[in-house]
Amino acid sequence: MENILEIKNLSKKYKDFELKDINLKLPKGMILGFIGENGAGKTTTIKAILDIIKNYKGEIKIFGLDNRKDEKKIKEDIGVVLDDMFFPEILTPNDINSIMKDTYNNWDSGLYFKYLTDFSLPKNKQIKTLSKGMKKKLEIAAALSHHPKLLILDEPTSGLDPIARNEVIDIFQDFIQNEECGVLLSSHITTDLEHIADYITFINNGKILLSKTCDELLENYGIVKCTESEFKKLDKTDFIKYKKKKYEYEVLIENKTAFNKKYGINTIDKITLEDLMLLMIKGVK
Amino acid sequence: MLGLIKKDLLIIRSNLKILIILFLVYGVMALQGEMDVSFVLPFMSVVIMMSTFSYDTYNKWDAYVCSLPNGRKNSVSAKYLATIILLTITTIIITALAVIISYTHTKAVNFDDILMTVFGPVFATILLQSFMYPAIYKFGVEKARIGIFIVIFGVTIIASIIAKFINFKSFFQKLDALNNYWLIIVPIIMITVLYASYKISEKIYKNKEY
Repeated sequence: MENILEIKNLSKKYKDFELKDINLKLPKGMILGFIGENGAGKTTTIKAILDIIKNYKGEIKIFGLDNRKDEKKIKEDIGVVLDDMFFPEILTPNDINSIMKDTYNNWDSGLYFKYLTDFSLPKNKQIKTLSKGMKKKLEIAAALSHHPKLLILDEPTSGLDPIARNEVIDIFQDFIQNEECGVLLSSHITTDLEHIADYITFINNGKILLSKTCDELLENYGIVKCTESEFKKLDKTDFIKYKKKKYEYEVLIENKTAFNKKYGINTIDKITLEDLMLLMIKGVK
Repeated sequence: MLGLIKKDLLIIRSNLKILIILFLVYGVMALQGEMDVSFVLPFMSVVIMMSTFSYDTYNKWDAYVCSLPNGRKNSVSAKYLATIILLTITTIIITALAVIISYTHTKAVNFDDILMTVFGPVFATILLQSFMYPAIYKFGVEKARIGIFIVIFGVTIIASIIAKFINFKSFFQKLDALNNYWLIIVPIIMITVLYASYKISEKIYKNKEY
């Protein structure tokens, strides 16, 4: 399968933080959910992909092209939502259309205004008067209106109410119907990712801890809740992390079927991405 | 790039009202011979354009602009071009005003005087822009603003100290010989300084992280 985005050995050093050998692949027609706690390196990785930060090591290829050498060509086909609001608040959504139609070759004003209508966004109000959720919707509308092939979205659903979040997620799913497209979606709201992501990449403290298909994670991984005596019988190689609670042990396992076969424990809870994050970060081995 | 020029001009749209009011107030004062307005408008136009840097910083626009096609390069070019557009408009306005004043007072239009009146302030404003913009790109709006005033203050003090010990009279007498060529020399210096400033800004912005 052809990759729309490929990162090889991306490293970037700061005084107090380091991104270490990030490897990531996003095949065409897929949505990759990028998860991790605050400060884990999600935004830094996204900024490196977009060349917003400099002096990083490694190789980043988008549409098979180098992200720095072929910058102009690549960026014509990328739609971006960053974690912070970025449109000048003194402008109006109409102004954004006026700016963008002279920025992107493929800017589609009709599509942009359709999104504004669908999102119930005003055209002539200053952005500063919009709510946080409305600002996010405006950014999403702008990211989609030049018919991009790759969407890079850093926390696009933060600040949105559940209805708006569903609306936006539906749009991302429609977007991915074109199999030449791809979405890199970083989000804290892991339930959203469980619904739409094909792949999950989990980053912690600047390192990729895990990168798998979402189905593989949700079907194979599980949480075993057991007593201390049951826990002590477990082989260390059969679980990833565990967390000692007041009355029980929560044990994160990688293969429910194999675990069940070996220990005969049937009560293995299904995992959510949130459980996975918590146990991977807070759990011990 | 046109999109980014538009963005800066749209940002200063509300400030343009202030510029128009200033023009009207100073215009009336100038017509009555109470004030020389030639410096106010070009200076104000650059100051207003500088405010777009504050908006960019406040709204975290720079990170986003880097994600646009040719964003880093176009952003710097757009900033310089938007300033030149605004400066050109104000130059046309003050030239027209100078023509009216000249005609009202002398019933004749002395173009040499008018060019002198207009060129000086425009030259000074372009110099200000040429020093300020790279400083803003390097250090940010607040630090650059303070820094540039410290530099201007320092240079003025040093120049006045040097002037006490060295006689510049003969030097200025030699400069008088260039009087006939200033209409060529000044624009050449202006364009050279502005271009150098643009290239420096472009280099700084190219490597900056957001």
